[in-house]
Amino acid sequence: MSRARRDQELPHAPLHVVLVAATLATVYPVLWVVSIAFSGRQTLAIADIPSDPSIWQRLRAVVPWPEQWSATNFVSVMSDQPFGRWLLNSVVVALFTTLAGIVLSCTAAYAFSRFKFPGRRAGMMSFLVSQMFPGVLTLIPLYIIMVQVLGLGNSQLGLIIVYATTSIPFSVWMLKGYFDTIPKELEEAAIIEGASAGTIFWRIVLPLAKPAVAITALFSFMTSWNEFILAATFMDKEEMYTAPVGLRFFVGGFSQQWGYFAAGSIIVSIPVVVLFLYLQKYLVSGLTAGSVKG
Amino acid sequence: MGAPSHRWRFLAGVALGAALGAWLAHGFVGDARARIAADREARRATVALQAAGALVARTDADGDAVRRALDAWQMGTPDVAQVRLARGMQLEASTAPGDAGERVAPRRLAREEKPLYDRAQRIATAIQTNREEQGGRKEEIEVAPLPGRRLSVAGPSGGESSAAGILEIETVELPPLPATSWWDFLLAVIAPVAAFGLFALVAGERRRLLVGAAVVCLSVSMLLLVRVSTARVAEDRRAETAAVAERVSEQTARVRAVAAAQGLPAEVAAASADWDTDAFRRPRAEVAADGAVHLERLADSVEETVRHLRRSLAAGAVLAVVLLLLVGLGAFHRLGRTLSRNRQAYLYIAPAIVGMLILVFYPFSYGIALSFTDSNIYNTNKNLADLWVGLRNYAEILGDVAFVKRTEGGFVFNYLSFYWTLLFNVFWTVTNVVIGVTSGLVLALILNTRALAFRPAYRVLLILPWAMPNYITALIWKGMFHQQFGVINQVLQLFGLSPVNWFDHPFTSYLAALTTNAWLSFPFMMVVSLGALQSIPADLYEAARVDGASRWQSFRAITLPSLRPALVPAVILSVVWTFNMFNIIFLVTAGDPGGSTEILITQAYKFAFQKYRYGYAAAYSTVIFGILLVYGVFQNRYSKATES
Repeated sequence: MSRARRDQELPHAPLHVVLVAATLATVYPVLWVVSIAFSGRQTLAIADIPSDPSIWQRLRAVVPWPEQWSATNFVSVMSDQPFGRWLLNSVVVALFTTLAGIVLSCTAAYAFSRFKFPGRRAGMMSFLVSQMFPGVLTLIPLYIIMVQVLGLGNSQLGLIIVYATTSIPFSVWMLKGYFDTIPKELEEAAIIEGASAGTIFWRIVLPLAKPAVAITALFSFMTSWNEFILAATFMDKEEMYTAPVGLRFFVGGFSQQWGYFAAGSIIVSIPVVVLFLYLQKYLVSGLTAGSVKG
Repeated sequence: MGAPSHRWRFLAGVALGAALGAWLAHGFVGDARARIAADREARRATVALQAAGALVARTDADGDAVRRALDAWQMGTPDVAQVRLARGMQLEASTAPGDAGERVAPRRLAREEKPLYDRAQRIATAIQTNREEQGGRKEEIEVAPLPGRRLSVAGPSGGESSAAGILEIETVELPPLPATSWWDFLLAVIAPVAAFGLFALVAGERRRLLVGAAVVCLSVSMLLLVRVSTARVAEDRRAETAAVAERVSEQTARVRAVAAAQGLPAEVAAASADWDTDAFRRPRAEVAADGAVHLERLADSVEETVRHLRRSLAAGAVLAVVLLLLVGLGAFHRLGRTLSRNRQAYLYIAPAIVGMLILVFYPFSYGIALSFTDSNIYNTNKNLADLWVGLRNYAEILGDVAFVKRTEGGFVFNYLSFYWTLLFNVFWTVTNVVIGVTSGLVLALILNTRALAFRPAYRVLLILPWAMPNYITALIWKGMFHQQFGVINQVLQLFGLSPVNWFDHPFTSYLAALTTNAWLSFPFMMVVSLGALQSIPADLYEAARVDGASRWQSFRAITLPSLRPALVPAVILSVVWTFNMFNIIFLVTAGDPGGSTEILITQAYKFAFQKYRYGYAAAYSTVIFGILLVYGVFQNRYSKATES
């Protein structure tokens, strides 16, 4: 009995030690970016180190706190660099991708969940298998179709079409998993009352599936907001870059504009981080409900 | 409304199949004949060009002689409208109607004649390149269509010192393309329909008999159509060479006559058969020196043309028979019924399916086809069938077994070998998932402690890496691992250690990528585990405590089993994610040093977009797909087994 009591009341102090250590390790890279962004310089060192540094100077160089605070990196990344334009491209692409992806996937997922029709199993299976297609394999043909045949290179529409389509399988699996959990009786009741199929879908099922739709939208949005290989392949004009391509442009190859990169990263991350934290309570249920059931 | 009878259905099948087959065949034959006709005109023009070149070569840079010779030559060659000779910036000779009076040659090229100058440069470069590469990749004779069905043909002017000189002729309007009449094809539709119709009248509603008869009727008709069509195309092909041979004799005589009249050396006959060349100035050798046709050479080349055509026609015939069977056996009837019965469902999924077909499944199939070819940046304009290499790419990838060599200094690895990359990829996945699950689980267990202070704050901060875009994470860590300015090396120096050049050694490079990926992947496992932990009813622990179970025992008996349903799928997901974690490897290590830390997917990307070996990269990706598919099947079995 006494042992059980001792077990139950584990001392909290060592737990806090572990948690604080983990949190510090987690937050450090974020603080590092913040201090580079606000340092007003382009180097990736937080502080300059003399050739024969003392231990304090060395310590200073790893503390994520800029030597002096300055917002010049933010100002000039938006005004001197075309980053504002890139950001706008990303916003347009991500918003329309999410919209188109959700409309396409909701209708398809509803059909897969509610109707029995020949090809249903094959369809779901092919969606699942398509998730295993290595992107590199489809990249060359996609380039041929979108850029050479349809002439949609360097256009936001091209990226939207590709992103929205490629996000369908994941979204459909997730939404179907959720639709399956909505009791059919609700719809049957509506049918008895004389509601049409469209009314049932738009007025009853979709409102009930709001959490799943929200989480699917979040994933669609994040995928297109963060994607950079397709974007780098399709957009070769600098003014049509999306934000990820642009950020890599700052620190890829021979350019080392870490200040711009850091400032840009913060601007790009804020919307997704906020959205993510806001919607995170749905995350686990959404993920495990949809993508996992065989 | 009853189903239509077998007889009618098969009759419709034969009609539709025959119509499809005939229509395709007409298209193929028309294409082949048009190509042959175009070839014939290009060859005739090329012979003329070479003949004019032979005259130019004979005049030895004597400007007036050249002009006189070309004038005389063109007068006697009525189907050539004009000929121009340019050297560098200079127009040496021209019989173009506009180049008289003020503009008479020789003179400098005018501004609007820049295309001629460009052409000369292009051809000179092509000759240079082909000579250096010992092959034919760039065209030395350019044949370009002009408006009004005329051709403009340009090539190097004859003679040794004339690499920069260009001779260009324009033809008069060419004869019209041969029209392929529809009669044979119409017959190929009517005959089998009539034959089958008669048979069906006699045979009645016996389905098996009807299938056989329909297939036989259609096949025989298609077979005959193939024979007739190939014979006609072969005839065209022979006529082409005969026309070219005639042209060679005519030009030989013409050049002789001009040479004699102008007092130029006359020994042209020996070379004149070589005037019939391809675009790389290699003689086709179908025409003998005396202007006769080389029958054996020609037979080979006719056979090749016919084989090509026969293959297309056979494919068309197969399609026709398939259509017949589909219609005859009622597949379309049934398909239509299914479609209309499930109209609503198909309507709902149609947009998604159409999009997926065009932008996911078609590219995928194209990629698979690409994997059997030798497609690379130098031959993208050719079609895939011409680049077919069968399983060579796969053999090359999978045959590279010996990736470890033993030398005196220890083991030497071939980092480009598929098996090294696969091994590294598996190692990378396993270590990452183990670290992710362990750290996520431990943190979740701690966070699940009741009445722990600051719990929401910890939770939000610890989830942060998941929310950050992973390419940003990768670039941040890349910066922090920088050898000179990176924070990691500063910390090492703080403890008196020497800085490490992280990306110079496979193991440290791997560590850098591992750290990055661990940082961004533990929150997922933590959140999943936390969710599962919170769903365990507290009564269970209560009951266990009453039974006198120790903390460890209740962890083993209650916590772990309850975590399993959530953790298994999460691990499955994260295995696939990590296995294909392109961004981290590509942006953090970039495979350094020497491709040792490449995973399969980044390696495939590099083959495609840095080495431009598209076919090889496609085969590589197909192998990756195979691996994932096998994993998927096993995982599905396993999770089904655990569910039951």
